[in-house]
Amino acid sequence: MNHPNEAQLILYHYGEASDRNEIAEHLEVCESCRANYQALQRVLAAVETLPVPDRAESYGAEVWRQVRPQIAKPTGPHGSNFWAFFAWPRWALAGALGLLVLGAFLAGRFWPQPPTSSATAIVQAQPLSAGARERVLLTEIGDHLERSQLALIELINSKTNGAVDITAEQVLARELAAVNRLFRRAAADAGEPGLASVLEELELVLVEVANGPAKLSADEFAALRERIDTDGLLFKVKVLGARVRSRERDAARELAANRS
Amino acid sequence: MMEDSDAVAVARARAGDQDAFGMLVERHSIRLFQLVYRMTGNEQDAEDVVQETFLRAYKQLNRFESRAGFGTWLHRIAANCSLDLLRKRKRQDEQVDAVELESEGPSSTLSSHAPPPDDQVFHLEVQQKIQAVMELLTPMERTAFVLRHFEGRSIDEIGRVLGTAPSATKQSIFRAVQKMRRALEPVLNATP
Repeated sequence: MNHPNEAQLILYHYGEASDRNEIAEHLEVCESCRANYQALQRVLAAVETLPVPDRAESYGAEVWRQVRPQIAKPTGPHGSNFWAFFAWPRWALAGALGLLVLGAFLAGRFWPQPPTSSATAIVQAQPLSAGARERVLLTEIGDHLERSQLALIELINSKTNGAVDITAEQVLARELAAVNRLFRRAAADAGEPGLASVLEELELVLVEVANGPAKLSADEFAALRERIDTDGLLFKVKVLGARVRSRERDAARELAANRS
Repeated sequence: MMEDSDAVAVARARAGDQDAFGMLVERHSIRLFQLVYRMTGNEQDAEDVVQETFLRAYKQLNRFESRAGFGTWLHRIAANCSLDLLRKRKRQDEQVDAVELESEGPSSTLSSHAPPPDDQVFHLEVQQKIQAVMELLTPMERTAFVLRHFEGRSIDEIGRVLGTAPSATKQSIFRAVQKMRRALEPVLNATP
């Protein structure tokens, strides 16, 4: 055979060369190729020396301690405790607020808004009462769910002409996924599996859209659309958003009543 | 044997037994950390990705097909999570300039006229070079290389993680190895 090129030698090294026997025979008789191959082997052996930080035997247990609260649901991996969110006691909502204010602040970086209407600006400008903070929280979650709902609707209604280009939707999905992650973690840390569960479902789809191919075949697009429909994600996000808006209005009325 | 007990634990976890899933987490965390650390090159990122991987795995547990092997399936999810992170980092950070790495060259560190390097210093030098090249690789190249070189995954398996055809997967591995050779051979050749 001819002298194998570098790509062939790399495949040979990893046991992926289709002409393995021919290359092996050639290396036995060709000194220059053998030297070249030995140089390649030396480099790849050196890469093996790259250290990985040790983890104690107890690392797995530590990971489980971190993960467990985030999956703590009574109905198993697919049972969503969706409606439990609306049974939030006030103290739990207030507990989540500290973390979510950070989310609200960061959210402002992704969606610049007029200062007069920005919940972030309110957070930064003055100390807030518990009622006002609750309203900020609900506003931020409501806005996020509304944007996510619109993004999903736009996505599943994308025009198909054989293939679908979702480049624009991917940009939005990346932004939404980043903010969603903050809300999801805060909800999980606050011991609210219902809210965290819906946000996690949402995040999985957003991340899938953001990091998948920008151009989808008709079949790939149909599969993505079916997944969104089948899991009822759009419905959950819509209902959750409506409930949050309702709670937000209640909080606003209560706030106004307290002021008067 | 482990795959058998994994299958039992997965079945129990699917039925709602969280402790069974906890057993899987405890069993696979260290190996997962090693993979993710090699892909991300950052300890904190690796710990975050390990957690993220288990959360995704739990959520998708009903989609797991037992013939694939739970560890393999988990590693695929971890590779995807790491790839997500690398792509995000790539957008956020300035890419290391390839020219900068090459311009350092062997002469600025270890020339053929230099005294024989102390073993420890030489070892450190090599590791620094490897780390620098790893950071230079694109997310696709790094993922493909780590999965092939450290994890022993086949071209087809890597292609499924990356969403690429075999030819494109091979190209990612070739480019990664070529970059590694260009940076390391001068250093390795300088040894007595």
